[in-house]
Amino acid sequence: MSYDFNIESPQTADELLAVIAANQDKNFRFGAGGTDLLLELKRAPQENLTVVNLAQLKDPIFKSITKVAGGYRIGALVTAGEVLDHEEVKSEFYTLWEAAHNLASMQIRQVATVGGNLCTASPSGDIACALVALHARCEIINTKGELRSVSVADFSTGVRKTVIQKNEVLRSVVVPINSNPNLHSGFIKVGTRLSMECSVVSLAYHIQMDDNRTIRHAGIAIGAVAPTIKFTDSACAFLIGKSKLIDTEREEFAGLISDYASPISDVRASAWYREEVLFNISKGLME
Amino acid sequence: MKINFTINGKGRAKEIKASTLLIDLIRDGLKLKGTKPGCFEGECGACTVLVDGHAINSCLYLAVNVAGKSITTIEGLGGEDQFLDIVQEKLIEHGGVQCGFCTSGMAMSIKSYSDKCKEEGKVPNRNEVAKSLEGNLCRCTGYVKIVDAAISVCGN
Ligand SMILES: Cc1cc2nc3c(=O)[nH]c(=O)nc-3n(C[C@H](O)[C@H](O)[C@H](O)COP(=O)(O)OP(=O)(O)OC[C@H]3O[C@@H](n4cnc5c(N)ncnc54)[C@H](O)[C@@H]3O)c2cc1C
Ligand code: FES
Ligand code: FES
Repeated sequence: MSYDFNIESPQTADELLAVIAANQDKNFRFGAGGTDLLLELKRAPQENLTVVNLAQLKDPIFKSITKVAGGYRIGALVTAGEVLDHEEVKSEFYTLWEAAHNLASMQIRQVATVGGNLCTASPSGDIACALVALHARCEIINTKGELRSVSVADFSTGVRKTVIQKNEVLRSVVVPINSNPNLHSGFIKVGTRLSMECSVVSLAYHIQMDDNRTIRHAGIAIGAVAPTIKFTDSACAFLIGKSKLIDTEREEFAGLISDYASPISDVRASAWYREEVLFNISKGLME
Repeated sequence: MKINFTINGKGRAKEIKASTLLIDLIRDGLKLKGTKPGCFEGECGACTVLVDGHAINSCLYLAVNVAGKSITTIEGLGGEDQFLDIVQEKLIEHGGVQCGFCTSGMAMSIKSYSDKCKEEGKVPNRNEVAKSLEGNLCRCTGYVKIVDAAISVCGN
């Protein structure tokens, strides 16, 4: 079998839902930027495949970042490059900005989408990891136009698996606004090459402090060390009400984060190396 | 299916397959061989071209999605009134070309990034320039001279 497929290129959201409805008994895949999909189809071609090409969709919800009640809505087709050009994302959600900044290369950031990063459901998805730390929610739409909302943390159910059903498509994500003025937010990625690579370990953190620098909210997510990206609940809870961590607390905190990891050894790194790196970057996080 | 697009300033219509990759349209369909096939996996950047002014990997881009858009390849960099673009001149001046396999892709990335900086009125520092070239591999030069060339294009 060779690399080949049919294509449907809906231009509006209504056309998209109609195309999905018309293909329910057929083998189809969505294509957004195509940076994961085309590689996959080149390596493992599929028979009688239709690619539902999202790249020509003109729908503003799918394609833009807007302020909504309680947060920012980011369309599934917003590219990593567009995330970088958005001033409020940079000032409010630096972890997301930094994840997009270190994703692949300039050429790939130009086309790679937020929705593609989530739906490809890789444990080392950088944008997905930042969105988990930010408590973002996915907005999924079905062929009837009905919308449901799922937290990004629950969106992926395993490597390359998501909660999306065959009659659904990811439309957007909503990132809740910050409730505190002081932020400690960023994205740490350790790889054998800095960008251009799925990480060996990644860690997204978004910590909010009140005027007295007491931690009120904490979101920390880790990637590439388990089959799915993990929100580190107990480590986040450990920080609430504290402001600075003393040495022993930092070790305890790093241990709590590491508890969520179940790394494997692969071509990029051994499980032992991943664990060590994760522990050390976690310890350094609250210095 | 038939698509209409602009290539290096000229309007064209071309019959393609739904799954045709942009690199194949450019090299085989349009016979423009300056765009290089390297890894075909988005890693090396040899296949970099501009779509509406932005650098992308043509090996991971569907040809159908250039419909109505404007493509620039290395063949289109210079133009009517000048033989070489400033990007090419600076690459030569700084000795950033050895075997040349990566060069067309490098030139397109430098073009895209330097144009964006100019549009934003920004003069990038060395780290920023180097970061903009992370998607282009070179097996010969060791990058220093290429980054030097890119910096001088960006106005330093
Ligand atoms: C060289 C290289 C380097 C890379 N480096 C990184 C990196 O550093 N960090 C990182 O996180 N990723 C990296 N990637 C992976 C990839 O670029 C990202 O995951 C990107 O965000 C995918 O987006 P896309 O729009 O290209 O997705 P596509 O390839 O278009 O789609 C990916 C998957 O999601 C599905 N899909 C897309 N949109 C939707 C939707 N709206 N609803 C439902 N399903 C949908 C598709 O069917 C497909 O299965 C790299 C890839 C390459 C080739
Ligand atoms: S051939 Fe396209 S990036 Fe290598
Ligand atoms: S000059 Fe030979 S690969 Fe760059």
